[in-house]
Amino acid sequence: MSRRMCGSAEAAEPRLRRRRSRFLARLLLAAVIPVLLAAFPSSSTASHIYKIGFIASITGPGASLGEPERDVARLLQDQLTSARGVVGPDRVRHAVEILIFDDQSRADTAASLARRLINEEKVVLLVAGTLSGPSLAMVPIATEGRTPMISMASARAIIEDPQTKRARPWIFKPVPENLHSAQKQAEYLKAIGATSVCHLYENTAYGQDTFASAGAIFPAAGITIVYGDAFDRTATEFPQVARVRASGCRAVVIGSIPPAASVINVAVRERAAQVRIVHGHGACSPDLIKTAGAAAERTVMPCGKILVADQLPAGDPVKTLNLKFISDFRRFTGGREISTFAGHAFDSLQWALIALRNLPDGLSLERQRDAAREALETKVKRWAGTHGFYTLSPEDHLGWKAEEFAFVTVQGGKFLILPRDQWK
Amino acid sequence: MRRLSGNAAVFVLSAALVGAIGWLEGTRPGGLSLPRLTAGLVTLDLLIRAGVFTIILVGLNLLMGYAGQVSLGQAAFYGMGAFFSAIFTVKARQVGIPLTLSGAWWWPWVVMGLGAALVGGFAYLIGWVILRLRGHYLAMATLGLGVAVFIILRENLGLSRLDLTGGFDGVVGIPRLRVGTYPLWPLHRYFFLVWSFALAAVALGLNIVDSRLGRALRAIHHSQVAAETLGVNVPRYKAQIFATSAALAALAGSLYAHFQAAVVPATFGFVPSLELVLMSAVGGMASIWGAPLGALAILLLEELLRTRLRLLLPGTGGELEAVAFGLLLILVLLFWPRGLAGRASGPLRRPIPTGGAGQSVRPAGVPRA
Amino acid sequence: MRRVGSGGPHPPPEEAVRTATEQAIGVRQVSSPRRSLPAGQWLGGVLVLLVIGLVLWGRRHGFGLADYLQFLVDGLQAGAIYTLVALGFVVVHRVTGIINFAQGAFVMLGPMVTITIYGRGWPLPPAVRLLLAAGLAAGLTAVVGVAVYRLAVHPARGASLLTRIMITVGAYVALQGVALLLWGPRSYVLPAFSTLQMADRTFLVGDVLFKAQSLWIWVTAGVTLALLALFFERTILGKAMRACAADRLAARLVGVRVDTMATVAFGLAAVLGAVAGIVVGPLTRPAYDMGLEIGLKGFVAAVMGGLVSFQGAVAGALLLGVLETLWAGVTLAGFKDLFAFVVLILVLLVRPHGVAGGEEEVGGS
Repeated sequence: MSRRMCGSAEAAEPRLRRRRSRFLARLLLAAVIPVLLAAFPSSSTASHIYKIGFIASITGPGASLGEPERDVARLLQDQLTSARGVVGPDRVRHAVEILIFDDQSRADTAASLARRLINEEKVVLLVAGTLSGPSLAMVPIATEGRTPMISMASARAIIEDPQTKRARPWIFKPVPENLHSAQKQAEYLKAIGATSVCHLYENTAYGQDTFASAGAIFPAAGITIVYGDAFDRTATEFPQVARVRASGCRAVVIGSIPPAASVINVAVRERAAQVRIVHGHGACSPDLIKTAGAAAERTVMPCGKILVADQLPAGDPVKTLNLKFISDFRRFTGGREISTFAGHAFDSLQWALIALRNLPDGLSLERQRDAAREALETKVKRWAGTHGFYTLSPEDHLGWKAEEFAFVTVQGGKFLILPRDQWK
Repeated sequence: MRRLSGNAAVFVLSAALVGAIGWLEGTRPGGLSLPRLTAGLVTLDLLIRAGVFTIILVGLNLLMGYAGQVSLGQAAFYGMGAFFSAIFTVKARQVGIPLTLSGAWWWPWVVMGLGAALVGGFAYLIGWVILRLRGHYLAMATLGLGVAVFIILRENLGLSRLDLTGGFDGVVGIPRLRVGTYPLWPLHRYFFLVWSFALAAVALGLNIVDSRLGRALRAIHHSQVAAETLGVNVPRYKAQIFATSAALAALAGSLYAHFQAAVVPATFGFVPSLELVLMSAVGGMASIWGAPLGALAILLLEELLRTRLRLLLPGTGGELEAVAFGLLLILVLLFWPRGLAGRASGPLRRPIPTGGAGQSVRPAGVPRA
Repeated sequence: MRRVGSGGPHPPPEEAVRTATEQAIGVRQVSSPRRSLPAGQWLGGVLVLLVIGLVLWGRRHGFGLADYLQFLVDGLQAGAIYTLVALGFVVVHRVTGIINFAQGAFVMLGPMVTITIYGRGWPLPPAVRLLLAAGLAAGLTAVVGVAVYRLAVHPARGASLLTRIMITVGAYVALQGVALLLWGPRSYVLPAFSTLQMADRTFLVGDVLFKAQSLWIWVTAGVTLALLALFFERTILGKAMRACAADRLAARLVGVRVDTMATVAFGLAAVLGAVAGIVVGPLTRPAYDMGLEIGLKGFVAAVMGGLVSFQGAVAGALLLGVLETLWAGVTLAGFKDLFAFVVLILVLLVRPHGVAGGEEEVGGS
């Protein structure tokens, strides 16, 4: 009786309980050990299989970006399996296996996974890193392991050493940077005559980078940031808008990703209705319209072409590629809408496949990795991807220019290309 | 004395194990390797991270298991150590260190020692103030300290122009350690280094437990009033052990920084602090040996889920790993409430002044002594 | 968890056990009001100075009265949200001594379940549908809360307090993982209660903007507080829970089942969390990971209030909300959380048992 009462534990029969918990513990161990000892199947080192290590942030703060990326990896694995792999320059066919892992949006986990994939799984190359933090953590490991790595995150420091300003030899990424966004935003702001602007950014790596990029680009275009501050991704109140009103800026640049981008968009519209809103390319997602509703109308932003593929001129290879990818993705995921992040995964994996297609048969793993790196630098020339055309070179591991952005606006709940002559 | 010799035996055994693993991985005789022997589960990477966590957990166990002071902000000291090393090696020129100094092989070692000492000193000062708090309030204050340090690192120390911590993106390009011209790299050499430090930390912990300080801590844990009455300088001892645990965490941070060559603030936020306490609880916080046990257990569990769950249930992503991790954590804590090393109970143990009758009045919140 | 004679005069031995029990569950010491009164004034002074300083600093940006009133309104909105979350922590802590880290998961489950049920398109008027969905979500979350206690926390009743707290961390991780499996990482939209659409109704009073949803939040927080007071004051169950919180031994001697009380506390905390999540839902875009930060803030508010008293939690939450908003509007918003935690540490150092704690006995009133 006393067991059910106040002092829960003390009256319980300790010995009995201990025996029971020991029994349960053994039971648990008995269940775990066989799994632990099960052979590790993917350690089959048959040389005719190429392995791509794929690391995305499937859980954690980056999950809304990483999940569609993971789905793209699965989609491409399906396509590769049904196409029976890739064919090399010597017409030898190789199966391709994409090993998908979750870095939990954490740098330490990402680093461990990269080591495991490079050292134990013997991948030819890595497509790794949804977010810039985990990507940067994997950079030294890929470099030391002499394994090409293609990141799906945007920070410049991933492909370029910020100290020496030189391209990192082993690291590539097909992802536009905030500097590119800032260039397009500056052109637009100048065209509409907004020379004093405010900048609100979400307090994440992406947001911080948008602010730094704007600070680097805007002054040269004659645009002053009169007020800039961060906001929390999960905030519900935005006292920052009071500063926007008080500072009298004509436009607000928002550096954020939906849903945070939507919430701040709504807040600015509510309290400073006349101010123009310019998003960065992180907001380019149907989620912006879905979660901001009418408040997103008439906002503008530079976006990858994948978002407005249907409005590209007929015959544009970027249009053809995107339309096919979008319909494949929707079929594969049961009608889920495409996001630009899915596009980054697609481009990264396509680069990896280009590299694999250029590997002759019979190379050692080190030679395969070397050759893959070289193929990336030399074979990706005016290549049509989801975000436009890419041309990689030893000096440029992004190979993409701000002109490839489409400048879009939201109208009637749709993203529409906003031609330059309509900027006003 | 029996316990001491037992400790010595376990210690020698651990050292031998470390030597054997390092030798195995260094030479890989006949293609044999650690991952192969453990079916791909245990890698040097995992063991090195476990070593780093062991160093932190020794300090945390001293603080929580012996002195009874809960810290939910230990990752802050870990991060301070890591960023101290990162900034003073990568951005040495920016902070005005001449190349003659920062280029020397011994410079990172000096920075490491200095970092641990400064962080320890900082914790000593803070400790005098916040260790006056007890129980949940102390836990909360340390949590606040942890979050505060994380935000300061994330916001570039408030000096965005200098860009010392690199904001969210952190610092990349931290050099490998070497002794003279002998690099402590590749992994198996670094493994030796980290586990030398880890075993030294364990030895230090065992010594502290059996020292005057250790006795004082146990007295404080047992009854602070009684200890005070007997003339134990409670605030000083508490601050000392807080500083020791912080210095150990900072040292671990430096070792982590030189291991990963890249640090980002998110590795040292609130959730990692919580994970450290989890490791401590799983390993058994009232035992110094709980430190390596807890670190290894949690890391192995994560690795197990990451590599094996997909075999049991094909087509699962990271989502199921998170669920399984949470559930297994609960199971482990249910079955080993005092941790894997579990001898005594946790820091919240409170001795009851009376005998048998007193037993029954302990509230649910207070475990058996 | 606090030990015998934590500061203040040492109790005589015969009282030691009882006092220890009280302290263990966080009841304020009998001796402290004498010491904390000046400390409280000191703290009040510091906080007033802080507010004055921030207001003066804000003048530099050209803020007028309307702006400051706006900050106050926003801050009270945030404070009301923190209040609802903090109450969940307090209920569980009072009865069990545990800090329940799974509280954040309850806050997340409320709106996520509501959105799912609401979205099923049952043939009912939308308002009824939303109300029904919210009710079902709160009920389901209560079931989850009870399950967390009975399946994970209760079986570990022999373990140390910290171990049980860590078990709630495990529960949080598992629940968040389940949510990720069920809903994916996407954010969802919960319609504003007044319009039943994404866009909320707003109205200007003078130059201060009010949102209809803020009113819902305030009303909900007020009603919840009133109901809690009634529950703890007027019902047998509530009185039994108070008895447990005040003195477990005595409660047990008069036949209160403390385990049952703890189960009820977890269920109640889950409902409180779910309600908090549901009313804040329209202001944010609920997603599987929304629990962590809002839970942490609620926890801070609860600790500032002393973890045992409802008034304390309310005071702590409102103070936190208003100060934080003022800080973010006037200085750098990136350091908002830093500011929140610095204030917290200050409060703890000056008044180790929270802003309100103190004279009143632990009770609902």
